[in-house]
Amino acid sequence: MVAVIRSTILDAPVEAVWEVIRDFNGHDAWHPAVDASQIERGHPSDKVGCVRRFKLADGSELREQLLTLSDMEQSFSYCLLETPIPLFNYVAHCRLLPVTDGDITFWEWESRFDTPAGREGELAEMVGTDIYLAGFDAVRSHMGLGSA
Amino acid sequence: MARVYTSSVINASASRVWDRVRDFNGLPRWHPRIRDSRIEDALPSDKVGCIRNFNLQNGDNIREQLLGLSDYDMFCTYAILESPMPLSDYIATLRLTPVTDGDRCFVEWSAEFSADPSDEDALVNGIGTDVFQAGFDALKRHFGS
Repeated sequence: MVAVIRSTILDAPVEAVWEVIRDFNGHDAWHPAVDASQIERGHPSDKVGCVRRFKLADGSELREQLLTLSDMEQSFSYCLLETPIPLFNYVAHCRLLPVTDGDITFWEWESRFDTPAGREGELAEMVGTDIYLAGFDAVRSHMGLGSA
Repeated sequence: MARVYTSSVINASASRVWDRVRDFNGLPRWHPRIRDSRIEDALPSDKVGCIRNFNLQNGDNIREQLLGLSDYDMFCTYAILESPMPLSDYIATLRLTPVTDGDRCFVEWSAEFSADPSDEDALVNGIGTDVFQAGFDALKRHFGS
């Protein structure tokens, strides 16, 4: 099992960041790896259990299922159902926490998964950098924030 | 149940900040409001269940018991046994989480307690500002910003 964890500080109130990342069907609006997003069966994107279908920038597709969504804790969890990348048993968690002495936001994105033998390091680096860190930067630029 | 939540970002790695705050008997070394502290019965300060007996700069005496300590998750949970404050069932947690993009640390200090409703706001503000935020400010001064 590989564990990946990345975190950052965003120079915006936690409510504002949550409004952007809360929509399980809205990540195509900010994440550079995602070209298009659609929720299957016409379910609302905040219905726990819904499945999103991503078309990636390279044309491949993946499906992910929403496992947890909490407006109280400002967090969500999801797993991969089908993916062109060999990540197995992949479960990820995103959570936001307020930094109360600056009205800014701590954002943590983590996951655990299995990979084919020998590819652990390469795939952990890809997930941490190309998905999570790239996602942090993308939300920063989507919200017009500088670095915090 | 009243609840206090205070959080901040310290400009040092979580392990360095943990080194500074981990010692349950070490408040006088890093928190400006605490004058002196001892662990009762000469127990080691990382023995879960030990009791710290400390005095504030204003002379108030407080006894607190260590309920949980994790070097892995970098948190410390404790309860107030005796204090001059009009509250009961007070449990607090100080927790550090690394910020991976930079050598920084996210710190949270939270508490829950019971109090007379007429005292709640003053207690929440006093603990949040004079204890928790004052501790964070001292860490920020120590580690720089």
